[in-house]
Order: sequence, then structure tokens, then C-alpha cells
Amino acid sequence: MLIKLTGGTVYDPASGIDGQQQDIFVQDGRIIDAPKDGRPVDREYDLRGKVVMSGAIDMHTHIGGGKGNIARTLLPEDHRMDPVQRTPITRSGNGHAMPSTYVAGYRYAEMGYTACFEPAVLPINARQAHMEMGDTPIVDKGGYVMLGSDDFLLRMMTANKDQKAINDYVAWTLNAAKGIGIKVVNAGGINAFKFNQRKLDLDEQNSHYAVTPRQILQTLARAVQELGITHPLHVHGCNLGVPGNLETTLNTIQGIDGLPMHLTHIQFHSYGKEGDFKFSSGAAQIAEAINQNKNITADVGQILFGQTVTASGDNMRQHANHRFASPNKWVCMDIECDAGCGVVPFKYKDQNFVNALQWAIGLEIFLLVEDPWRIFLTTDHPNGAPFTSYPHLIRLLMDRSFRNDMLATIHPEAQKMTTLASIEREYTLNEIAIMTRAGAARIIGLKDRGALSAGNWADITVYTENADRQTMFTKPDYVFKDGELVVKDGQVVKVTWGTTHIVKPDYDLSIEKDLKPYFDKYLTMKLGNFKISDDEISEDGRGSLTAHPLRGAA
Amino acid sequence: MSALTFTLKQPTDQRIDMSPLVCQKLQGLDVDAIAAIELQNGKSRRRVDELFYITGMNTQEIIIAYSNNKLDFIGKELDGGSISVQGDAGAYLGMQMKSGTINVSGDAGLYAGCEMKNGLLQIEGDAGDFLGGALPGNKQGMKGGTVLVKGNVGQRAGDHMRRGQILIEGNAGDYCGSRMLAGTIAVMGNTGRYLGYAMRRGTLLLWNQPQLSATFNDCGSHTLAFLPILFASFKSFNSRFADSGAAFNRVQRYGGDMAETGRGEVLVRI
Repeated sequence: MLIKLTGGTVYDPASGIDGQQQDIFVQDGRIIDAPKDGRPVDREYDLRGKVVMSGAIDMHTHIGGGKGNIARTLLPEDHRMDPVQRTPITRSGNGHAMPSTYVAGYRYAEMGYTACFEPAVLPINARQAHMEMGDTPIVDKGGYVMLGSDDFLLRMMTANKDQKAINDYVAWTLNAAKGIGIKVVNAGGINAFKFNQRKLDLDEQNSHYAVTPRQILQTLARAVQELGITHPLHVHGCNLGVPGNLETTLNTIQGIDGLPMHLTHIQFHSYGKEGDFKFSSGAAQIAEAINQNKNITADVGQILFGQTVTASGDNMRQHANHRFASPNKWVCMDIECDAGCGVVPFKYKDQNFVNALQWAIGLEIFLLVEDPWRIFLTTDHPNGAPFTSYPHLIRLLMDRSFRNDMLATIHPEAQKMTTLASIEREYTLNEIAIMTRAGAARIIGLKDRGALSAGNWADITVYTENADRQTMFTKPDYVFKDGELVVKDGQVVKVTWGTTHIVKPDYDLSIEKDLKPYFDKYLTMKLGNFKISDDEISEDGRGSLTAHPLRGAA
Repeated sequence: MSALTFTLKQPTDQRIDMSPLVCQKLQGLDVDAIAAIELQNGKSRRRVDELFYITGMNTQEIIIAYSNNKLDFIGKELDGGSISVQGDAGAYLGMQMKSGTINVSGDAGLYAGCEMKNGLLQIEGDAGDFLGGALPGNKQGMKGGTVLVKGNVGQRAGDHMRRGQILIEGNAGDYCGSRMLAGTIAVMGNTGRYLGYAMRRGTLLLWNQPQLSATFNDCGSHTLAFLPILFASFKSFNSRFADSGAAFNRVQRYGGDMAETGRGEVLVRI
């Protein structure tokens, strides 16, 4: 079927197109050049006056994995308040902070998103994560495999194994757990927590393994680089949420020695300790460091006011924050003797000084980082706010007077501690398209996605131009996924199933000789069961795997 | 003006959500408007007049006749007025009610008086589990008012209870007063296992010696001056709690649950 999207105003930063009116042709799921043979168009959409972008990509959102189910179990009231009924084509479920898998997929698609990436796939829990993502309809998905606090890596580092052996282990794990990148959460800290350490600075040793977070980050960043994985090492730094952690973050940036590194939810890592309350914004220094160091990318992890739940692998920091749980209940636990997690419900309040300043710090970072290709729009769903608040966030970025109106309502002391009011920048539609589409596809290493030039998969979102950007981005007119119309007027009209994006770096099979006895002795499953086969993703008839090329191999 | 009466035409196979039929929501509506309200009945929605014969006018005095245990959410968030249930009530009777009275001539199901805030809920028969409790996941159950049960109650009566009083003429099941934050539960009959499990504060007033966990400490026998005052406050109830013979002021006092903050008390008549 030949589809023609006629006359839309196209924003396609990947092809350098910034708001030009042009036609797009789609055939067999892909975008093609205008056919010259005069074939009849089977279906035409008149998009004159509409804004056309590729489908949005959320490069960091917790939509799969064990902690989601823990959060759901912990917060039945959050689900009770947002029941979603079935329709002839969609299934029932529940929404809000940690929606059910089906509802997560529908709501992402209804907001114009066509791909989501789960950033904390514990290798030993990867099967669960893939099954949940397998139940998340319409959107494409993928995961970053979490390493850095696993005993096997720390043992290798203590034993001074060479980088080659570590690369083999990283590549083996990535293949076994079917990820597209490597994530580190509080490097070594989750492990140190089990040895009764309650904080771990960048250069502080794990009391058992005598390895520091800095060494772990350097080792893994080098592994990612040498294996040719496109997505840089995805780093959730040390000291999350600690006043004064700005210094740790700047040290982390310097300490990576120029290797590519992605700092995630950087808002939570940009705090100073000045002022009457010993809590201040470090956004200016962090933004400056990102601007200076071209090897660094970041997503913000903006907080927005309201009830949500924080779900993180960082049990050390979650445990430290458990007394702020609202409602007053929380979980910190070990996972399969190989990782950990903490789930703490949070209610961010605009009249709370700390929350209000966190809100301002996130926005400052967005606005002070100059290169939209290296900063990404996230709320670290659900940790800063549920993903459904993205349109509101986009309006805050694109509309200075709205932003200042909101700023005027937050805690007065927080207003005094932020430079937000003086920042004039407003994001353009093109910059939003970079942050949420082209840039995200590039940083994850997605081939054929996040762009509207011929040859790309036809993931396309069409909005009605509206000065109120929140309204505009809440309800797209059309969303196409792989060339099929899946959402019309903000409602799902067809349920499709996206693919799972992975990379497959090479490794030396002999690594299994060391791993097998380790699994037999220490872990809760055998090596053979740990490895997820391709069939497990696809045997339900709707999942599929898409392997992306390594850097230099494309 | 006669009471607005909903007479169930015939028992339904599926449960009926009665939450729209409360006094404050019906106020000012004529019979046609009330008849046209749709109730959730299993998977389908059915008009009130499909399910009930409607007679009477006074929306502040509602009678539900031929009621059975499939009628859930009777008196949900009731804010003034009275509801009289002739027969049994289903689950979530008087859930989150704010004021007014509900009287059930038969038994009530699970979660009666769940998270109720004020008012009087009187059950002539038995009540199910989680009487005056909290919805799953919520941290506070009943927050005020009075629940009076003339029969027996199930397990977990007063789970997470925060304030108010639950008066039980019959027996209470296991975990009576579990996770209680405050408030009073009085049981004339027997109590089950794990009485006051993880209670933080609050009072369990008992006529019969319970089987107590090891985390409750015997604090000796006491003559408590507040007990006659408490019993005097029961005088207006149509209940054995109002009998002058029921009152006492001499009790054995146990403190617990020491596995929690341990500021709750179990008072047993001696």
C-alpha cells in the first residue's frame, strides 16, 4: 500500500529539515522517495497546516523489570484511582505512576511515542523485563543491561583481569540478556550496600572488593568503547540526591578520560550545598561541564509536582531516602543475590523547598545545555514524574511566560535560589524534535529510526500546531508505527507490536568456562537458563528482535 | 413524605454497584431521574428501574428491601440521611461514609465500614472480614464514627483503624485490631488468634480473656475511671452495650504490640 502524507510542515533534524512543507511517501512500512512511475496513491492524508515529526523515542523510561511489579504491588491505591476499561481493540489495565504494561504502550503511542528504552535491565532479571516489554504494545523497546555491582565483574576487577576478559564478559552478558547498551547504577554501590556501606563516593573502596566506582566506570566505559557499542556507557552516578553531589558529578565527567559517557537523570546529581538550607542548584556548573566535554551526553530526569513512585536499582540511595516515602511505605531488596532495588513512593510538592528547587534545577539544565543533540527529555519515568507529563514538560521548555508563571507559584525560598527567571531561552520545535527523536535515535544507535528520510521505518507523528504546546503534544492527530496508522486524534485505533532493539557484540566463548562454575556455585539459575534465546522474544508471534550494527561496522 | 424504597425485583447473578444510590446524590431528583440512573451489574450497566421497584419520595430516608449479599457499596461516601437495608448487604457497606446512619437487618460482607469517617453503621447480623479496615495498600482504615455489630465479625476487624469505635456484641475472628493506629474496639464475645497484631496505639476492650501473643506485656489490674464514662456514651445505642449491666471499670491491662511501638492496650474485664 502506498500512503501519501501531503503538505505537512516537517521537522526532521536528522535530515536537516527544520519546518519545511513537504510530502512524505510510505510503502511497506518504510518511508520512500516520491514514486516517479505514477503509481496511484492508495491512501492520502492531508496534513496541510500540521506539524510532522518522526515518532518520539524515550531513551530512559522504567517500563519493564522486577521493580515495576514491586511498585505495582506496593501501590494498589495508585492503580485504583486510574482504572482503564477495555475497548474492542485495547485491553483493560490501570494507569498513573507505574501503569500496567498494556496501558503504558497505549499511552505512549497516544502521546506520539513509538519507542521506549528500559534503562535498568538486571541481567538475571532480564527475562522478566523482556516479558513485560513484550506485553507493551505498539512501541518499540529495548533495554540497557545493568552491570557494575555484580559480583562477577567485581571479582574480575579485584583479580586484575585484563580489559579483554572484561570485554568478553560485558559482551557475553549483553548477548545473554538481549540489551542495546550497558548501564551502571551507583557503580559498585548496590554491592557495597550488602557489605553494610551506606554511602560510596567516587573514590571510596568497596569494603569487600577494594574497587572504587571510578575504576568500575572507567573499565566499563572502555569495554563499551572497545566493543563498538554505539550507546555510550549509561551512568547513574554516585550520591544520587545528596546535597553537594555536584562535585561528584563533575569528578565523574573528568574521570572518564574522554570516553563517551551518558549521565542519566542528571538533575538528581546537580546539587550544591549553599544557602540557608544547605541545598542549592549546581545546574550552571553541570551544564557548563556538558557544554565543554563533547564526550558527555545526559538526560535530565525532570521532576514534576504530584504523586509518583521512585523505582531504582540504587538500593543504597533509596534506603537513605526511605524516610521521605509518601505514602509511608517502601521496599528495599536484594535481587537474586546479584543486584538490588529500592522502591519508594514520592509526592513532589511545589511548596516544599527541596522539591521546588529540584524542579527548577532540572529546567535550568535543559535550558543551559546548548547542544540539544546531547541532552534528552526524560522524567526518568516514574522517578521524577510519570511519562504522561511529557507534554507539560515540553510546554515548560517552549514557553517562557508559562514557565515563569509556574515558577512564581513554587516555594518562595526556592525561587530566590534559582536563575530560571532570567533564562530567556525557549526551545524550538526543531530542538524538541532533536531531543525526542533524532538525537535519541543517534545516541541509542538505532538504525532506520528517528528520521523521515527515505529508507527509514515509517514511525511518524502528526500534531496540530497550537501555541499551547501542552495541548499540542498531548494529543497527536495521527501516529504511524511502521507505516500503519495506530493512533488517530489521540486514541489508539490499531494495536500493533513493536520490535525489540538489541546489539550483538562479539566475544570469546571461553568466558563461559569461568562463568559456568560461578553460576553453579553462587547464582539462583544455571548458566544455560540465564541466556535468553531469540525464540523467547518471538515465539508469541508478535515480538521480534532487531539487531543494530556496532560502531564502525555500519 | 414516605421513605424512598428500592425493592429488588429478583436476585441477580452478578453483583450490583449501589454507590450511586446514596442520599446526597439523589437529593432533588424526581422518581423518573432516579429510575434512569444506571448501575453497574457485573459487566453490564442496567437502569435502576430494571433492577428495583421504586416507591416513596424522601431521598433522605432510603430503604433497600429484599437486599442480598450481591449489593455492594451500599451507602458509599454517605453524607447525611439514613439508609435502611432490609436483608443482607454485600461488600464495602458504608465505605468512606461521612455522616448519617446505615442500618442492616441481616449480614454484611467484606470491608463493611471501610475507611469510614463519621456516622453510625449498625449491622443486626454478622459482618465479614476487614470490618472498619483500610482498602488494600492504604495506610489508614476507619477514621471516625461508630460501627455496631450485633452478631459476629470476620478476621482483621479494625485493620489499620485510625479513630472511632467498633462495638461487637458477638465474637471477633483472628487478627482483631491488626495494625491498629488508634481508636477503640469492644468485643463482648470471644476473640481469635493474633489479637492486636502489630497494633501501635488504640484500645481493645474485651469481656473474655483472649489468647495473646508473646509481644503483649501484662501491666497488671486496674480500676479505670474512664470506663464508666465510655459506657455512658453507649447509652443511646439500641444494643447490649447500652445495658447498665454491661458496664465495668475493673480490668486487666496488657500493653503491645511490642513488635511495633507498643503503645496499644488490651483491657480485659475482671
